Amino acid sequence: MTTYTGVLLRGVGAGGIAGLLAGLFGLVVVEVPIRAALAVEEARPAVESGGHDHGEMFGRGTQMVGGVLGAVIVGLAIGALFATALAGSRRWFVGRPPFTRSVTLGAAVFGAAALLPAVKYPANPPAVGNQDTVDYRTMLYLGVIAAGLVVVYGSSYLASRLTHLAGPVRSTVVALAAIAGVAVILLAFPASPDPIPADMPSEVLWQFRLASLGETAILWLGLGVVFGLLTDPSVRQSTARAQALAA
Amino acid sequence: MTSPAHHLSLPIPRWAYAVALLALMVTWLVLQENGIALGHAAESLHEFFHDGRHALGVPCH
Ligand SMILES: [Zn+2]
Repeated sequence: MTTYTGVLLRGVGAGGIAGLLAGLFGLVVVEVPIRAALAVEEARPAVESGGHDHGEMFGRGTQMVGGVLGAVIVGLAIGALFATALAGSRRWFVGRPPFTRSVTLGAAVFGAAALLPAVKYPANPPAVGNQDTVDYRTMLYLGVIAAGLVVVYGSSYLASRLTHLAGPVRSTVVALAAIAGVAVILLAFPASPDPIPADMPSEVLWQFRLASLGETAILWLGLGVVFGLLTDPSVRQSTARAQALAA
Repeated sequence: MTSPAHHLSLPIPRWAYAVALLALMVTWLVLQENGIALGHAAESLHEFFHDGRHALGVPCH
């Protein structure tokens, strides 16, 4: 626990668990609108050869396994980054218990890396995007995430610089600054270049978008909670000690 | 509640940067690789993780 290696291993473990939970949610919930969207795609006349064909290289079953495995692998990787960021942070809620720090960071990164791009560039199921704009769309998406992470970092930096202010005043100032940062991002980035094709039912589209947001929420909040649980036995001990003293 | 046990901040060894780089590369390979690093082999990677990419909100075709 007192070494970086111990924290790193807990981060990777927490990320793997959160990734598995997110992947299983994807298998049960997100696959439903994905399947519906693939049916829309298949119903189209196969004129263009530029797009990639689904189900030719791998069957649907393999791609569903790939969906779960992808979430697990990404979970392991972001778990390592998450643990390193928390261990290396000198300012992020340093006086708070590890569980609070972990859950708050998980929620903050979920906001910046999943919720913010979901608001600006909502996730799309198969059969929506245009192959020609994918690089541009990817750039915009990664740009919004990077800008969101800058807002998270900037807010925590600002909070650490305003310790002379009273708690509620400081929180208000930091929250207003973060909201202003998010508003600037939402206004400054251009709209998504691809229109939604007319043959895509809006129920399928929104079912997919909500389900996808649910999966990323499980991934990030799950990472924050599980990592907090794995790193926090000392807090439970001190709480028990405090209760014993109060009794 | 300010016991040192509450502090998670630790000295970060230099090899931690290699771990972070590896983690970023793995995330890139699963969610983004479209041929820059792997060339034609990227297509099978893309197809295998295709559902995962869409489900995690990453832009795709
Ligand atoms: Zn796709």
